[in-house]
Amino acid sequence: MNLLTIPLRCARRKWPRFVLLTLVFALGATSMVALWHVSRVVGDSLERKLTAFGANILVSPKAETLAVSYGGVSLGNLLYEVRHLDEAATVSAIRSIPLSANVAAVAPKLVGTAALGAEQVPVVGVRFDQEQTIKKYWRIKGLFPTRENEVVLGSALAARLGLDFGSAFRLGDEEVTVAGVLSPTGGDDDTVVLADLTLAQRLFRLPGKVNFVEVSALCAGCPIEDIVAQIGGKLPGLEVKALRSVVEGRMASVHFVQHLTLAVALVILVSACAVVGFSMLSAVNERKAEIGLLRSLGYSRAGVFAIFCSEAVLLGAAAGAIGALAGWGVGREVVRLLDAAGEVLPAFSPLEALAVCLGMALVAALAAAYPAAKAARIDPSAALVSL
Amino acid sequence: MLEARNIAKSYASAEGPAPVLRDVSLTLEQGEFLAIVGRSGSGKSTLLNILSTLLAPDAGQVLYAGRDVTRLPEAELAALRRRDFAVVFQMHHLLPYLTALENVLLPFMTGLAPAPRDAVERARRCLDRVGLGGKHHRLPGRLSGGEQQRVAIARALVKEAAILFADEPTGSLDPATGREIVGLLQDLNADGLSVVMVTHDLGYASCARRVLRMENGAPACAA
Repeated sequence: MNLLTIPLRCARRKWPRFVLLTLVFALGATSMVALWHVSRVVGDSLERKLTAFGANILVSPKAETLAVSYGGVSLGNLLYEVRHLDEAATVSAIRSIPLSANVAAVAPKLVGTAALGAEQVPVVGVRFDQEQTIKKYWRIKGLFPTRENEVVLGSALAARLGLDFGSAFRLGDEEVTVAGVLSPTGGDDDTVVLADLTLAQRLFRLPGKVNFVEVSALCAGCPIEDIVAQIGGKLPGLEVKALRSVVEGRMASVHFVQHLTLAVALVILVSACAVVGFSMLSAVNERKAEIGLLRSLGYSRAGVFAIFCSEAVLLGAAAGAIGALAGWGVGREVVRLLDAAGEVLPAFSPLEALAVCLGMALVAALAAAYPAAKAARIDPSAALVSL
Repeated sequence: MLEARNIAKSYASAEGPAPVLRDVSLTLEQGEFLAIVGRSGSGKSTLLNILSTLLAPDAGQVLYAGRDVTRLPEAELAALRRRDFAVVFQMHHLLPYLTALENVLLPFMTGLAPAPRDAVERARRCLDRVGLGGKHHRLPGRLSGGEQQRVAIARALVKEAAILFADEPTGSLDPATGREIVGLLQDLNADGLSVVMVTHDLGYASCARRVLRMENGAPACAA
């Protein structure tokens, strides 16, 4: 028998009120937990989908430039001592960082020019499987190459040269076939020959070498700076930089989803708190005589406050337990119905459930703080005489 | 043991402060049974609330064991109510969701002091003493008015207080049950408990050793 006996007995004997209030509060907790699961999964999924719109990290050799001017006229920067990266070593280093799970694609590139008939055309050597991961917006007339001596032409270049898919021509020392022609992208890809990287390395006599590597990283779980730092650590001497505009644009979309769900969850939580607060306030008014009696028996103001807060904590913890379980189930179903995450469904975590219980208990205690303080301030004689 | 000196109290009303007690002084000796009688509105319940520290006077002092208890800080006041004073009300005020035994144990659940090891045993003895031997686990709703008042008296007894204040303890009971309750208070007083009882029934008041009659907020005479 102690101070907690009173709220426990009260909850047991007045169970319909307790159950109803718990359910209302649990509804709030369920909505919050479900929204949290959905936003987390949808945020991750959204970011993965946005990855298709470009890389966000660039790995390149540290190039030395020389500013050239003469007579006060700038002639631009002169790039000298152009160095190449070793493809296998660079890709392997990037894939081996501690945050490698956040690396969605690693796309090495070798850029140069090669003779096509009488003219020189720009050729970009790529790994098509990785390139398609970061450029899902590519639309192709024909097919992507499946063999080394197949190439893809940019739309503008194909039109200028009068080539189409199925055309065969000599590119430098290699006989190649056009596997497909890209639909206009509005970018650099419209004016180049996209060749398999191995073919390009042979064309430019740079076996195993690349100019730079584009990396697409998922930043929902960690800041991009961490990934950049880890890649930099694995590849000392290379320049590793985050393409901030890409990252920020991508994360803005993810954060919008997360902020929206947070706002909705907060509205639900505040409403649930208001219900608990008003209910406790009405309980305080109903139980004035009880409060007066307790004070006459020697209960301190803090004791009375603790009794009402304990009732709320009990209610919050029960609602939190229900909410953690139900919220997980509802979130899972919503994700499944929306088909938002593919195979990835929210996982149940006992630690998270415990955190929800504690959080809801705290929130309930805060909601009950004013009614409980009001109860503690009640004058015992006034409370007893008034009834 | 308990002394009230020049107690005055007014309540606010639309016409300004309405005096309820004017310059009331009294003493209660150890082991005394004092009945305070008077008509409704004579100030007897207000006086009892002030004596039992449930209400602060506008002026005057209440001395208990030589200390003015009207000026005590909140924590000491709660300790005094917990330890030395016990109050029984007209509307017995039992918590409806606690059994008779749990209601009697309420003074030990304050969380401010550890309950005695024999708290439950003491509560059982008190219930037996007031004649509720077989009804320890009944909820108040399943007890008669007289039985509920007995539980309230058992609750006052369990902490072995020095003074029992009873505010119209027979007010909501039929005459026969009222007589039983007053008889119980007499028995407790005979065992050494000091009792201050407010009543408007002169018949019950005659059971006390001393009677203080209140009229218009002041003692009319003492018998």
